[in-house]
Amino acid sequence: MPKSQYVDPGKAFEAGYIHFEDIPVCQYKKTLAEEKKIYTKDDFMRIYRDMAIIREFETMLNEVKVKSEYNGVKYNNPGPAHLSIGQEASAVGEAYCLDINDFSFGSHRSHGEILAKGLSSIYKLTDEEVYDIMKEFLGGAVLAVVEKQMKSENIKDLAINFLLYGALAEIFARQTGFNRGLGGSMHAFFIPFGLMPNNAIVGASAPIALGAALYKRSNHKPGIVISNCGDGATGRGPVLEALNFASMDQITKLWGMDGKFSDGGMPILFNVFNNHYGMGGQTRGETMGFDMAARLGAGFNPSQMHAERVNGYDPLAVIDAVTRKKKLLLEGKGPALLDVVTYRVSGHSPSDSSTYRTQEEIDAWKAADPILAFKNKLVKGKIATEEDFAVMHEQITARMTEIMKLAINDEISPRMDLNKDPDAISSIMFSNQKVKSMDPSREAEMLMPKEECPRVKEIKGKIRTAKDADGKPVSKMKMYNICDGLFEPIIDKFYDDPTLIAYGEDNRDWGGAFGVYKKMTEAVPYHRFFNSPISESAIVGSAVGYAMCGGRAIVELMYADFIGCAGDEIFNQMAKWQAMSAGILKMPITLRVSVGSKYGAQHSQDWTALCAHIPGLKVVFPATPADAKGLMTSTLDGTDPVIFFESQRIYGIGEEFMAGGVPEGHYEVPLGEPDIKREGKDVTILTIGAVLYRALEAAKILEEKYGVSAEIIDARTIVPFNYEKVIESVKKTGKILLVGDACERNSVMRDMASNITEMCFDYLDGPAVVVGSRNWITPAFELEKSFFPQADWIIDALHEKIMPLPGHVPTNNFTDIEKVERAKKGL
Amino acid sequence: MATVVIMPRQGQSVESCIITAFNKKVGDTVEKGDVLFSYETDKSSFDEPAPEAGTILAIFREEGDDVPCLENVLVIGKEGEDVSAFAPAAAAPAAEAPAAPAAAAEAAPAAPAAPAVAAAAPATTEGVGSISPRARLLAEKTHADLLKAVPTGPNGRIIERDVQKLLDLGLTVSPAARDGYTAATEGTGINGKVVLGDLNAPAAAPAAAEAAPEAAFEDVKIPNIRKIIAKQMCASLTTMAQLTLNTSFDASKMIALRGSLKAGAEKMGLANITYNDMILFAVSRVLLNHKVLNAHYLNDDTMRYFKTVNLGVAVDTERGLMVPTVFGAEKMSLNQLAKSAKSVISDAQGGKINPDLLKGATFTVSNLGSMGIESFTPIVNPPQTAILGVGGITKRVKEVGGEDVTYSAMSLSLTIDHRAIDGADGARFLKELCFALENFDLLLTK
Repeated sequence: MPKSQYVDPGKAFEAGYIHFEDIPVCQYKKTLAEEKKIYTKDDFMRIYRDMAIIREFETMLNEVKVKSEYNGVKYNNPGPAHLSIGQEASAVGEAYCLDINDFSFGSHRSHGEILAKGLSSIYKLTDEEVYDIMKEFLGGAVLAVVEKQMKSENIKDLAINFLLYGALAEIFARQTGFNRGLGGSMHAFFIPFGLMPNNAIVGASAPIALGAALYKRSNHKPGIVISNCGDGATGRGPVLEALNFASMDQITKLWGMDGKFSDGGMPILFNVFNNHYGMGGQTRGETMGFDMAARLGAGFNPSQMHAERVNGYDPLAVIDAVTRKKKLLLEGKGPALLDVVTYRVSGHSPSDSSTYRTQEEIDAWKAADPILAFKNKLVKGKIATEEDFAVMHEQITARMTEIMKLAINDEISPRMDLNKDPDAISSIMFSNQKVKSMDPSREAEMLMPKEECPRVKEIKGKIRTAKDADGKPVSKMKMYNICDGLFEPIIDKFYDDPTLIAYGEDNRDWGGAFGVYKKMTEAVPYHRFFNSPISESAIVGSAVGYAMCGGRAIVELMYADFIGCAGDEIFNQMAKWQAMSAGILKMPITLRVSVGSKYGAQHSQDWTALCAHIPGLKVVFPATPADAKGLMTSTLDGTDPVIFFESQRIYGIGEEFMAGGVPEGHYEVPLGEPDIKREGKDVTILTIGAVLYRALEAAKILEEKYGVSAEIIDARTIVPFNYEKVIESVKKTGKILLVGDACERNSVMRDMASNITEMCFDYLDGPAVVVGSRNWITPAFELEKSFFPQADWIIDALHEKIMPLPGHVPTNNFTDIEKVERAKKGL
Repeated sequence: MATVVIMPRQGQSVESCIITAFNKKVGDTVEKGDVLFSYETDKSSFDEPAPEAGTILAIFREEGDDVPCLENVLVIGKEGEDVSAFAPAAAAPAAEAPAAPAAAAEAAPAAPAAPAVAAAAPATTEGVGSISPRARLLAEKTHADLLKAVPTGPNGRIIERDVQKLLDLGLTVSPAARDGYTAATEGTGINGKVVLGDLNAPAAAPAAAEAAPEAAFEDVKIPNIRKIIAKQMCASLTTMAQLTLNTSFDASKMIALRGSLKAGAEKMGLANITYNDMILFAVSRVLLNHKVLNAHYLNDDTMRYFKTVNLGVAVDTERGLMVPTVFGAEKMSLNQLAKSAKSVISDAQGGKINPDLLKGATFTVSNLGSMGIESFTPIVNPPQTAILGVGGITKRVKEVGGEDVTYSAMSLSLTIDHRAIDGADGARFLKELCFALENFDLLLTK
């Protein structure tokens, strides 16, 4: 919504046509003679060798799966094996064009891509470079095995053994695998070769790869990004969101508007390995309507994403196409799309009985086998003899057998021992680091000195407490509020960390839907701070890819209710990658979500419990300006994924608890420490989020009317959470109420109540009682007092469940009978 | 190879012992037999000798630790040896080895199942409706009389404030319990609501004022054994209906017999037989005729009557009161009984008593006669139903043939649990016992 772009009603209704360019379909027509001018004999043979290695690697996995034996070596692999036999030419052709600055992301069926890109990288790196990489990786653990146990002719040969062993040990869940066996077959990767994480969720890599491209684009890094997926994945929303996000106009039209930072379009190639099936669903003719996947490009931008359909059974045709696309991307003309036609001869997995296709079809594709065809071409063209290939195959088989023996040897390739080292996984769930700047070597790109930022100036004039020196409430306009508390650490981080970017819907000119980013536009350039399309999957998924590359991101989903739109990205991607990478990756992402009110059932939900349930996410929910500032500071300094809950009820509230007001400058509140907001001795009230203020109201009534002194503890953080303070309080009071705006059933309050009951049982004078919202839809604003916990609910719950208050007449029903009845009805 | 020293199991029923002192520290060299550390069970204390010479390589426990039996305490060996494998967590499998002697220990006299400390159970909540854990805890600590509590919690639940109310009204179960309360509240810090403490305070204050400006005092940590005695005595008085009957008998014949025994003991190879042994002997013979006194009051439903007489003998020791048991007394000759009693008494006094011998008594005799006490009210050791107190010998006068004649009288005090025994039952027992003691020569020939 930039003011610089005028939306002209005259032009909006102009008559005309949309024109499309022809999309090339398998137009590669070079003759061998022409090809010989491009490729040396070594090139041809290397292309062949790489395809043959992949084929043998997967043949071995297939044999192990189907017969529990390969080449006389017995082994049982209970883990998955999604093979790509038949797709080798596509993988090798693509990898041929890439170097370690080019990042490739893949799917659950990516063994071929890993090996192809690994082999290509080994070829392109010098001996010293490749040896250093191996030596440094996981402290040399993987290298030590191949160096000690295998004879290698030279460094490159050693590196090939390293690649095959590291990948296979990972597939077999060994501690010597590329990710200590924690990623496995569907997620193996090796960042030093530009081999980024592959993903077991179909299509999930697309938004993540987009984030990597965003990282290159916003940080001016060399190389391109490849987003590999199957044709089946093009039916997934996150893939389509990523195609659109990568194509958005602003990247070329606005990101250079200050004249300093224009690098052209998003450097990403969406590469569809079109093997005709999504598991068993036939995309062309059954589950999709695009006829050919290349048609998708025409839907996303006027350049049609330079879409093209290529023969994926001919490695040279793929090389030709990828080379041209890479050139376009490096010229700033991205994004691009390739539809690489191939075929998966193997089943989706070993349990696939191919009920969806005929044997005739499989045989026909086998007859067209790309490896065989390429060999015949080379023999026919007198580039090599059958004998040369026979020797090569013998070597490959021998190598593979040796690698397999090593990878299944429990002594050499042990599994993680969780009995001996029970914290092995605990220690990598979070990275728990404090890193001020993710790239201290660079200056942050900003449009003006911090002091000149209009918002910084505005906050300078604000009063940092809710009441002035005379105890009078400060006027809203002059009061430092929660929005300011969030803004301060964010703007500081923009100046401190050149990698920091922030985006989401309506973040820039609007200033964020609730004004947290108000007047920030003037200071932060577009490529670090922009409006995203309404694409929650792509917003969060791209942040994951951005972090994987070494950047730090703040993304925003406006309403917490939209978490569902980015479910996979939050729950499977953001949460899991630190541990799945055995701690190699960091995930410094702050995902801001806001809990609404007034806007009904789909805009008022506190979903802290959903996030807290997923291991690997930190979850915070401040309720005061000082806590908002302190927790945001700690979050932004950290290296873990944090779901940062905010509440729309209290954005405008001032600081009521810190006597001196919200501290100026750097101010941290460590994640995980609840805070006593009001001291008391008779009953503890633990609050989550904005309900703090209703609990204070209740405490006041309890004190004045019933002589009951309530201690109020604000949870502030939900994961991690230090119970010590709460336990101490409950030991003192013997009574606890847990209050939050989330629907009561399975809420965070329920979980905490259960834990507190376990830990404080002998000290409790009554059950730990939860006061949450009703298990309903959120009704209209005028009815909200019957839905969200109110001060009188808290008093009634205390009266009815823990300690009857003399003379109190409850108006809400918290009795057991009522509870049983509600539960019976699912309410 | 380093040698690990474990916490020995002193008797089959002992689960853990408290280390009272370490005589050695890490790095000290020790000779075989040197005392490594001292420890105590509920009632006994022991010294652990070094099983071999060497250097103390590691000590896993601290003084005051309550260490489960058979767990590792320290390691002796040569300097530099690795002891990590002996650290208590890792030592679990190794610790299973010494469990074998268990079978041997079972050969000890079959003792009644109810342990002596059972009566030290917390304030009763029988007859009380639902109660919050916190209220229960407070009541246990303060001996508040929950039967008098007025529940004000939801669904008739007794909650903390209801117990507090009892305390405010002074409704505890007994004065002894109230003492227990004031002692126990120290350092527990329950919300600062020390109501009985408040009640006691005014009484204590003037006394303090009259005393010297500043009374010299010394705070000493109460030893474990004293805590156990305290608990048990309070429990005894708070759970039973105790009644004491006093009588005396003519001890002339006993005195005469004791005189002749003293003279001839050595010649006959007899033990040094004391008055107390004679009383034990007489009790062991008479008791079986009064089964209600040779019994345990297990609970309000069950009495357990014994067919043998296991006599508890109250012994004054440096550590405090101990009551070792002479098992099967009714089958022993006076000489055997005297020897057995001497053996257990000396073990108890030396602190070497096998804890299994500190329980299982069916009746107890407590003798304060040698200390000049004429009469007293002994406290029943639950779940026993009675205890006999023996006083000293005094001269009394009786009329014989119209003349006042002095004779040596010995007093007896029988405390009974009136729940199990009526006064007349006790009187009948005392009458038969006095007759037996007055005719000790006849008793011996029986």
